[in-house]
Amino acid sequence: MNRRGLIGALAAAVSLAVVPRRARANTKKIRPPGALAPGPFEQACIGCFRCAEVCPTACIRFPSTFSLEQATPHLELGDRACVLCMKCTQVCPTDALLPIAADAQVIAKEVRMGVPVLTRSKCLPWNGTGVCRLCYQVCPYPDKAVELVGPQKAPLFVVEACVGCGLCEEACPDGAQAIIIEPLGTELPKPEPMRRGPA
Amino acid sequence: MARRPLQPLDITLRYGRGYQLTRRLFLAFSVALTFGLPLIHLRAVSAEGAGLADDSPWARLIGWLPVVDVPFVGAPTSIVLFGIELVDPLEWLGVTLHRGLSWGMVWTLLPGLLLVVLLGRFFCGWACPYLPILAASNASRWFLSRLGVPIKDVKVPRLTARVAMVGVLLGSALLGTQLLPLVYPPAIIGREVFRALFFGSLGAGAFVVLGAFLFDTFVSRAGFCRSLCPGGAMFSTLGALSPVRIHRDIPKCTDCTICDVVCNLGQLPMTDKLDGGCERCGRCIASCPTKALTWKLGTPSVLRMPHEKPGT
Repeated sequence: MNRRGLIGALAAAVSLAVVPRRARANTKKIRPPGALAPGPFEQACIGCFRCAEVCPTACIRFPSTFSLEQATPHLELGDRACVLCMKCTQVCPTDALLPIAADAQVIAKEVRMGVPVLTRSKCLPWNGTGVCRLCYQVCPYPDKAVELVGPQKAPLFVVEACVGCGLCEEACPDGAQAIIIEPLGTELPKPEPMRRGPA
Repeated sequence: MARRPLQPLDITLRYGRGYQLTRRLFLAFSVALTFGLPLIHLRAVSAEGAGLADDSPWARLIGWLPVVDVPFVGAPTSIVLFGIELVDPLEWLGVTLHRGLSWGMVWTLLPGLLLVVLLGRFFCGWACPYLPILAASNASRWFLSRLGVPIKDVKVPRLTARVAMVGVLLGSALLGTQLLPLVYPPAIIGREVFRALFFGSLGAGAFVVLGAFLFDTFVSRAGFCRSLCPGGAMFSTLGALSPVRIHRDIPKCTDCTICDVVCNLGQLPMTDKLDGGCERCGRCIASCPTKALTWKLGTPSVLRMPHEKPGT
């Protein structure tokens, strides 16, 4: 190796050692289960798409537009929900997704993909236009993440217990779309006052 | 009309047929994995009934494939083969700069690093899924020159690739996201092939690959691989540790320049000017009319003194 190469290599090493490591904390995206917090996740993900390849519902997507997010996976829960199989967490080479056992108890404790936000004015039992408990029926943690309250058996979501898999969002009737899983860190709107249904 | 400059496609690869065949089969295997793995996984996904639930023609076509459980998962730049992790050293470095070193990450790097230190920049000549596109680019250049269209071959300094490599790492640190998968052709090709097979669409990454193809075709021969690809720069840097070298038998050499012309990466075997940038494709050996070039194990190029004759 010549002197110029050595100086260049040293300069590169020094600049890489002193460069400030920034974190993108403002990325509002629903990440696969086991994902590191926003910021560390984008730093660790190399966009190898193994997680998306093994996903049985193909709900893990990559943005197709020019953006810094182009090579990081996110979930399109409105299209397909996550079935909590945890396969994606097992294949990640850089631990951007930390391995999680496919066990309901472990998942309930470890996984937080998003927060459930219910628009009561759109929800059939809440606005009194119908009987529906689809979200409750598909929820992997019924009575914990979603409870049925009142005479109408209207759903009440418990943010602390919800893993954010989106099965409710997928099941919610097309005309209603009352329950949406929003990315972590979303400001929760104040719940609207419960309206009385038709007599 | 001025004489057309000699092009790689004018040169016959006469010797070392076994080596070239092995290399091409390996490349075919790599490309087959790039397309095949998403297909196999897509089949498994649709067999579970959730992935391709629609009755589209594509879903029906996929339905013909057998459901197999392969021990492979991943992309050209980060793959698991029979439980062995092969991760691109530069992608690894990008993550490690952010997240720090852990034993898990060391084990992830080791198999890939070992291959690169032994065999040098072989990925670029044996496995990169951009190679078929580069071959198409070289063929286009040859065709255009046959038609009498003047083609440019701007010599971008190879240092540019090293600058791009460090720039990608610095940019990743400053922006807080990995930039390499956005600009590295094998990573992009893997992702876009996956997208095309799973969702029937292409993303913005396709434009980067198209840009690389146009650059290689109209501006500089293999210019992207030579002087822009950050991953290639990393392989060159590590490849300087490899003991596998091209040896020139000086009495046999007739200074015909064929080996220098056939090399995609601007190595100059005729004057023994070879470094870590050699992709071990062996085309110089295969094209030498007097069989003056051979493989040899010797001092890695990084340990050689500048005044030392590389042929010795």
